[in-house]
Amino acid sequence: MELTLNHYLVLSTLLFAIGLIGVMRRKNLLMLFFATEILLNAVNVGMAAISHYRGDYTGQMFAFFIIAIAASEVAVGLGLLIVWYKRTGKIDLDQMTSMRG
Amino acid sequence: MEIYLYTALFSPLIGSLIAALFGASKKTYFTGVLASGLLLTSFISSLILLTYVMAGHTVHVEMMTWIATGDLYIPFGFVVDQVSVTMMMVVTTVSTVVHIYSIGYMSHDKGFNRFFSYLSAFVFSMMVLVMSDNFLGLFIGWEGVGLCSWLLIGFWYHKESATWAANEAFIMNRIADLAMLIGIFMMYWNLGSLQYDVVFANISALPMPVITWIGIFLFIGAMGKSAQFPLHTWLADAMEGPTPVSALIHAATMVTAGVYLVVRANPIYSEIPDVGNAIASLGAFVAMFAATMALVNRDMKRIIAYSTLSQLGYMFVAAGLGAYWVALFHLMAHAFFKALLFLGAGNVMHAMHDELDPFKMGGLKTSMKWTWILMTLASVALAGIYPLAGFFSKDLILEVAFVEQHYILYTVLLLTAGMTAFYSFRLIALIFHGDKRHLEHGIHPHEAYTFMLYAMAPLAILAVIAGMVFKTPYYLMVTELLPAVQYHIHNHTTFWIMTIGTQLFVILAIAYAYKKYAKAVKVDKKVESGFFYQLLYNQYYIPKIYDEVFSKPYLQLSKLAWKQIDLKIVDATVDGIANIIYQTGEKTHTMQNGNLSSMLRWMVIGLVVLLVLAVAFTAGYNAVNLRAM
Amino acid sequence: MQEHILSILIFFPALAAMLGFVVHKDSAKAYGITVAGIEFFLSLWLWHIYDPMTSGMQFMEIAPLVSAFGINYMVGIDGISLFIIVLSAFFTLIGILSLTETRRVKDLIITLLFLEMTMIGVFSALDAIVFYVFWELSLVPMLYIIGAWGGPLRIYASVKFFLYTFTGSLVMLVGMLFMAYFYYQATGQWSFSLLEWYRLILPVNYQMWLFAAFFLGFAIKVPMFPFHTWLPYAHGQAPTIGSVILAAILLKMGTYAFVRFSLPLFPDATVAFMFPIAILAIIMIIYGAMVAYAQEDIKQVVAYSSISHMGVIILGTFALNVEGISGSVFLMIAHGVVSGALFLLVGVIYDRRHTKLMSEFGGLASVMPRYATIFGIMMMASVGMPLTINFVGEFLSLLGFYKQSHSYTLVAGTAIIVGAIYMLSAYKKAFFGPVTKEENKNLKDLNKTELYGLVPLVVIAIWLGVYPKPVLEPINNSVEAIVQLMHDKAQTPEAKKRIPNLANTGTMNSVSEVH
Repeated sequence: MELTLNHYLVLSTLLFAIGLIGVMRRKNLLMLFFATEILLNAVNVGMAAISHYRGDYTGQMFAFFIIAIAASEVAVGLGLLIVWYKRTGKIDLDQMTSMRG
Repeated sequence: MEIYLYTALFSPLIGSLIAALFGASKKTYFTGVLASGLLLTSFISSLILLTYVMAGHTVHVEMMTWIATGDLYIPFGFVVDQVSVTMMMVVTTVSTVVHIYSIGYMSHDKGFNRFFSYLSAFVFSMMVLVMSDNFLGLFIGWEGVGLCSWLLIGFWYHKESATWAANEAFIMNRIADLAMLIGIFMMYWNLGSLQYDVVFANISALPMPVITWIGIFLFIGAMGKSAQFPLHTWLADAMEGPTPVSALIHAATMVTAGVYLVVRANPIYSEIPDVGNAIASLGAFVAMFAATMALVNRDMKRIIAYSTLSQLGYMFVAAGLGAYWVALFHLMAHAFFKALLFLGAGNVMHAMHDELDPFKMGGLKTSMKWTWILMTLASVALAGIYPLAGFFSKDLILEVAFVEQHYILYTVLLLTAGMTAFYSFRLIALIFHGDKRHLEHGIHPHEAYTFMLYAMAPLAILAVIAGMVFKTPYYLMVTELLPAVQYHIHNHTTFWIMTIGTQLFVILAIAYAYKKYAKAVKVDKKVESGFFYQLLYNQYYIPKIYDEVFSKPYLQLSKLAWKQIDLKIVDATVDGIANIIYQTGEKTHTMQNGNLSSMLRWMVIGLVVLLVLAVAFTAGYNAVNLRAM
Repeated sequence: MQEHILSILIFFPALAAMLGFVVHKDSAKAYGITVAGIEFFLSLWLWHIYDPMTSGMQFMEIAPLVSAFGINYMVGIDGISLFIIVLSAFFTLIGILSLTETRRVKDLIITLLFLEMTMIGVFSALDAIVFYVFWELSLVPMLYIIGAWGGPLRIYASVKFFLYTFTGSLVMLVGMLFMAYFYYQATGQWSFSLLEWYRLILPVNYQMWLFAAFFLGFAIKVPMFPFHTWLPYAHGQAPTIGSVILAAILLKMGTYAFVRFSLPLFPDATVAFMFPIAILAIIMIIYGAMVAYAQEDIKQVVAYSSISHMGVIILGTFALNVEGISGSVFLMIAHGVVSGALFLLVGVIYDRRHTKLMSEFGGLASVMPRYATIFGIMMMASVGMPLTINFVGEFLSLLGFYKQSHSYTLVAGTAIIVGAIYMLSAYKKAFFGPVTKEENKNLKDLNKTELYGLVPLVVIAIWLGVYPKPVLEPINNSVEAIVQLMHDKAQTPEAKKRIPNLANTGTMNSVSEVH
């Protein structure tokens, strides 16, 4: 069996779905970050696959970009998370409602 | 001659403006004398113009442009021709007399200066009305006299009844003015001009329905100013104004403006004899209708007002039947004796401390001899006894009706002539003869100032001679412009029977009035509580009906429009829409609860919706494009 | 200077207002009078150097703003806008002259000067975006005037005024953007220039939509029934000066915009919508008059009378002939003068008694004769007495519409009856009868300051009623150009028929044509 583009896209969709559910369901901020990473990587898989399929390297280039940005985002995000944990001792999402409208 | 025209036109205005300057300051005889002097100037100028016109010329000037836009061009243009000079003479004569008389009459009034300002302004408006050479110029005067009438009826503005009557007169006239404006619009869009000469030269080329409508609308305008049924109620109420005002405006001049309009527009009405017949019929109806109300009324001034209304009806009969010069002639004669009658009534009112009920007077001929003579003279003239003015003018209208073979109109007018004689002399008898009933009320009458009586003298002379002396020269002059139709009953026997018969009928009516009221006044309770008496006494209940059918519902409807429609429907809808938007915000702001995970959920929902929309639209777009291919 | 006169007129008051912040508050009024006086003389000078015989735009100025989209700062005037500009400058001066407000006078004067800028900007803008900017900007000072110096309900009234008119103008903005887009499609270039838009002939169905979009913005401003309910609140709560400017100038923006935008841009749609709009106008006339008659507050009587008179203006505008449009433009000026004066007069009595209820007065004619006289003259002008300013406009507007429809004009003509009813009964309630209230017995008659404001208005009301030519002639020339443009652009046979062709006139002048 040969791996076709469809396989990659199915994988990407599945990953994306997992990430999306994680984003919606998880109450723990750390878990939320994981879910976000899964989402981003789902997109990365899709981009790399399509890029290979079309012989156009732009997609792969973007995938690298995203990896870099995701890394920095996690760095900043984890930093904020640690500060928050130090202040409140919790990283439960439902507690964070200071932006209530 | 132009200088005389301008003098005649503008001297009343100058008088009015100068008097107005002193309007709020203390009474000065100066304003009255000055205004009267300027009126006299205007009178003399008119007289000079009259001789000029008698010689067969006319004066036509264009002072300046008034409104010019698009194809519309309306100047301030004035014309002195045979018709307008007649009106000018009537207006200036009566108003000069009334001005001088008013110096005495108003001498105890705080608003003396203001009065003369208004009165002269009225004369100016009236001169504009009669001298303009186009319909819109006439309309200026038309509204101007309406304004002055409003000011003068409501002159004693602290009285509720006076201000009410003033507003009633103004608004009722406005109803008619709308019709007149519509008539003017029709003329403009069909003929392209409002100048008399252009309109009259081309009117016959228009299709018949258009001429008919123009004639009808103009006449409705005339009905308002001349207080014809059904727009008549304001005239009797207008008697709230000072009596000289009633003499000048509501008897001699302004109310005859409607007749003037029909006479002036005679080329239009000659084209549409059917409308003319309608006018004549309405005129005859009003003549009788008003006379019946005068029979029983108990207010001296209202009786004379109804008599004016009745005489206006006569004039419209003549004008409607195409006897324009007769209408104008009666207008002139009527102005003289009716103004005289009103001024006499003014003397009586002064003597009686503003008492108006003739049943509370009586026997005044001893203390007010000259007033008695003058008023009797005026009443005789009004009744149409030979050789006074009324005989020549009023009987001529009867003859017109007879010659034109409108026998019903003739009968109505003849009966009305009898009633006229009766109510006029009922009034004379009640006021000047019989017991001195006023003594019970502690009133001691005195004759008016001598100069007031002298002021009335010219009117008295005119009331006597106007018919006899003026008829032929007037006829020769005015028929240069108006259709020259002689109304002669060719059969001599018929003529004499009619003339003598009418005279006898009238004299009998006078005698009956004297018999019934000159000695002692017996109040017949049975008659007075009868249906007809009550009907007439309440003016056919028409004022009441108007009040119930128009005034009150209009006020109710206005209140409804404001409180129910404007506030509760229109405004509430607007506020409702605003509220919906506001409430939507109120309801949905819970979405922004600051909880990251619920916000993420909303974000996902939004994303899904957008995706679905995008897919759906793309599919739809492709489907349309495919079909197009 | 002559080339930049319009820019000077627009921006001088604004600059002066900026400077006004440093003026000491005691001399603020004097400063305001000086600035408004200079501005008024500049506007008179503008009138003086205006060539009344030309129908096109004069004193045009163009400076690019966003060239890529064809947005330019472009101003210019013709006979239609000239007099409204003069009127704006005049009323700002009169308003400041007769100012009796004591609270925060300096702020008020600065606000008024800003307002003056926006007003003159609206009436001289020839670029849709510039027009829109000034149109919206004018809301801000007015919002501030009502909201800061108004009566007890001022917040509600000002917010309502702002949001209501703002909503309408947003729809108008969308219309403008579409218009520019259509222009782009047709010519390949972006342009917001009104004069270039004039040359564009749009398909009739586009015209309908665009007309509707513009209509909403303008109708709310006028205000036309049923979009009028912000007006009574705004007038009821605004201080005297606010009402004066609102009634005299701001309402005219709507009717002016109809003449400037809707008519020449969408002639076919105008003809198609003529009768529905005429019905709205008639409702405004009669309904406005009836509601005015029912009022107990004299200021509300004047406020609703504005709605009634604006109905006549709308009717004249949609007469689509020179007589009607000239009449309606003239009536804009006339109504400005008369309603402005009436609001000033109401302000006078409000200053003395702090009430506007007519039942509180009665018999004022004997206590304040001068006041009663001027009020009477202005009332008669409002009622449309010939030889006063209103008559010329009302007569021409109705005359014009008579060409389009006999029956509509007959119904609309009741304006002269119902107008007399509410005005006379209000006058009777306030001025006639005996003096019943103790407080009214010693009221002071008009003082000098008040006379300075009112006498010029009386003079104008009579002068232009007797001799309207200096104003009517330039208006007429510019209106003729617009009517001709509309006729040339019209596509439907109905529109060709309804809008007269002036190019081969002379038909009406020579009566021989009738035969």
